[in-house]
Amino acid sequence: MTDKKEVFGMRFGQTAGGCAAAVLVAAMLAACTSSSTSSQSSSTSAPAGSNGTVIKIGVELPLSGGDAANGIPTNNGVLLAVEEANKAGVPGGFTFADDSLDDAVQGAHDPAQGAQNTKNFISDSAVLAMVGPFNSNVAKAEIPLTNDAELAEISPSNTNPGLTLGDDAKKLRTSHPDIDSYFRVCTTDDKQGAAGAQFARKLGFKKVFIVDDNETYGKGLADVFDAAFRKAGGSVLGHEHLTKNQQDFKALLTKAHSLGPDFIYYGGTTVTGGGLLRKQMADAGMGSIPYVGGDGISDDTFLKQAGSMANNSYYTVAAPEASKLASAKGFIAAYKAKFKSDVGPYSANAYTAAKIEIAAILKALQADGNKLPTRAEVRKNVAATKNFVSPIGNVGFDANGDTTAPILSIYKISGGKAQFVDQINLKT
Amino acid sequence: MDIFLQQLVNGLSLGGIYALIALGYTMVYGIIELINFAHGDIYTLGTFVSLAVLLGLGVSGEVHGFTLVWVVLLTIVTAMLLCGIVGVLIERLAYRRLRNAPRLAPLITAIGVSFILENAMQLWRGPTPIAFPAVIPNPSLQFGGVEIAAKQILVVVLAFVMMAGLQLFIYRTKMGKAMRATAQDRDAAQLMGININTTIALTFLIGSALAGAAGFISGVYYQSTWFFNGFEAGLKAFTAAVLGGIGNVAGAMLGGFVIGLVEAFATQFIPQGAQWTNVVVFSVLVLVLVFRPSGLLGEALPEKV
Repeated sequence: MTDKKEVFGMRFGQTAGGCAAAVLVAAMLAACTSSSTSSQSSSTSAPAGSNGTVIKIGVELPLSGGDAANGIPTNNGVLLAVEEANKAGVPGGFTFADDSLDDAVQGAHDPAQGAQNTKNFISDSAVLAMVGPFNSNVAKAEIPLTNDAELAEISPSNTNPGLTLGDDAKKLRTSHPDIDSYFRVCTTDDKQGAAGAQFARKLGFKKVFIVDDNETYGKGLADVFDAAFRKAGGSVLGHEHLTKNQQDFKALLTKAHSLGPDFIYYGGTTVTGGGLLRKQMADAGMGSIPYVGGDGISDDTFLKQAGSMANNSYYTVAAPEASKLASAKGFIAAYKAKFKSDVGPYSANAYTAAKIEIAAILKALQADGNKLPTRAEVRKNVAATKNFVSPIGNVGFDANGDTTAPILSIYKISGGKAQFVDQINLKT
Repeated sequence: MDIFLQQLVNGLSLGGIYALIALGYTMVYGIIELINFAHGDIYTLGTFVSLAVLLGLGVSGEVHGFTLVWVVLLTIVTAMLLCGIVGVLIERLAYRRLRNAPRLAPLITAIGVSFILENAMQLWRGPTPIAFPAVIPNPSLQFGGVEIAAKQILVVVLAFVMMAGLQLFIYRTKMGKAMRATAQDRDAAQLMGININTTIALTFLIGSALAGAAGFISGVYYQSTWFFNGFEAGLKAFTAAVLGGIGNVAGAMLGGFVIGLVEAFATQFIPQGAQWTNVVVFSVLVLVLVFRPSGLLGEALPEKV
């Protein structure tokens, strides 16, 4: 199911970008203007001085092809953090530099290339920490390597739960099963179901009919929603799974309609049925009933496929909407001043990831009397991060490497456009 | 009771879509005994061509009155024509040389053609679903608690009209007679002065044109399409053709309706039924074939001794 997971990692990226066309356009512009700098940054960003005085942050993102619209603004977040750290001054005569490598092969992110880039970082003793990757399936290929080298790696955008939780995660930690070198500052897909349930109850909905596409992501999402909605005092009238490639949902919707739900919850992506299901609700006499889903339906295809029926739909996205956070104002202004473009959906996450690593390195420097710290020390400091003040809130990591500030955004589609309506913090 | 009737309507209209595709499927099989796997993709091509015509005309929503008539006619005729031509080309390029090859060779070729068409359409319109304009006004009619949309009636009526037309063509015209003769014994037909190549090309022309028309109807009906549509639709239509008795035109339609109804009722009356529809459909197929190996109405090749 690797490619399935890849889709989610990507979709997630497209998603938040799709919320505002302007953001996307800006991202493209950024792609044009900064591609020349980022592709050379591995050599140019090291300032004058002996090589031993440079501490590198490896950045592993898709920087060309279709993913570049997400990769470049994300990379910019790291560039900004590195610049600020150097401006603030580093003890011991060290300077920070970024080392950005592209994991896109023939225009699309590639796990094998990601692993190769990671190996390059590991063989370069100046690299003490890593930001990336962008896509969950690339992370799968990299985690065993960074685990072996005890190289701290923080992803700005991976949402697949299996990277940090359960047996799936244990299998990835091949060399040091007890040591976690992989962290992420965004939250996971499984939190979306819970956030959706919480929000639906907030809207006053009591009865739900749940449909999912019977795939890893969709069923997982719907199952979490099912349990969370019951727990929150709602009642689940039915929970049905679609057949792959099904196109006609009238029979299913007739069944749902006869039970009289307040809304329909859909777990899955637009392509696996989310768009058509919503569209056909009109034919089944459910035109005025709201529709709630996860980030799988947060794309332009959903808007196009469902047409006017897309309105009155809600969806969750497993990331905070940076433009709505007071804490992100300073970051957004600095970003705009430096790159002359709007922030991408994951710029703030990447900036935060780099900041956490830089703080961890500085702490290790201090403890070692300004001698170059080891990767293991840096990793330990990253793992110990608690309440780190950042544009996306106060971030810390739990024992699995997941963020302790799971903030999700809720969007509503009205007038054919998705608009941010609410933010849910699932901090327990 | 309302629920039952509503699902009856749902099942019949879904079955109508299957029947529309199954007609061309079963016809080609009836004449040259080739399971033309590319048929489902030609049906998708029909939707794609219709969409291109509508976009070319600048139609993006409902149209009314006289405009509706000529827009629909122009679109459907273009779709039928282009799909017919593609069907003939496929026969000429891929199947004709294999006419005397072992049965497996044209079958595998048909699967290959299906892949080519799917990928060509993916290159044309991309891998994501595409919206199709709701050209035909769709008022919905209330009968007690049962709601019937105009397009549901349209689909069922069209399935009957197309079936009747096809029956008339095969059994009442000279060319239809030539087709039946070709189906019965190719060599003997040729000795009687029937041009086999033309007859088989004509079969593909008509079968593919029907798929093109079905493509337009399904575009209007679902208001959405994507390059991969033909796979599932083709599979169901093939099942419908086998269920009704492959090669039998009336059987294909009956099979389509049976499958549509089974799907609707399975979804309604089996707990969590939506995920089991295919299981139920194919179980019905297996049962029917166990007791009636040549389908509900029997294969339409009884003349073959």
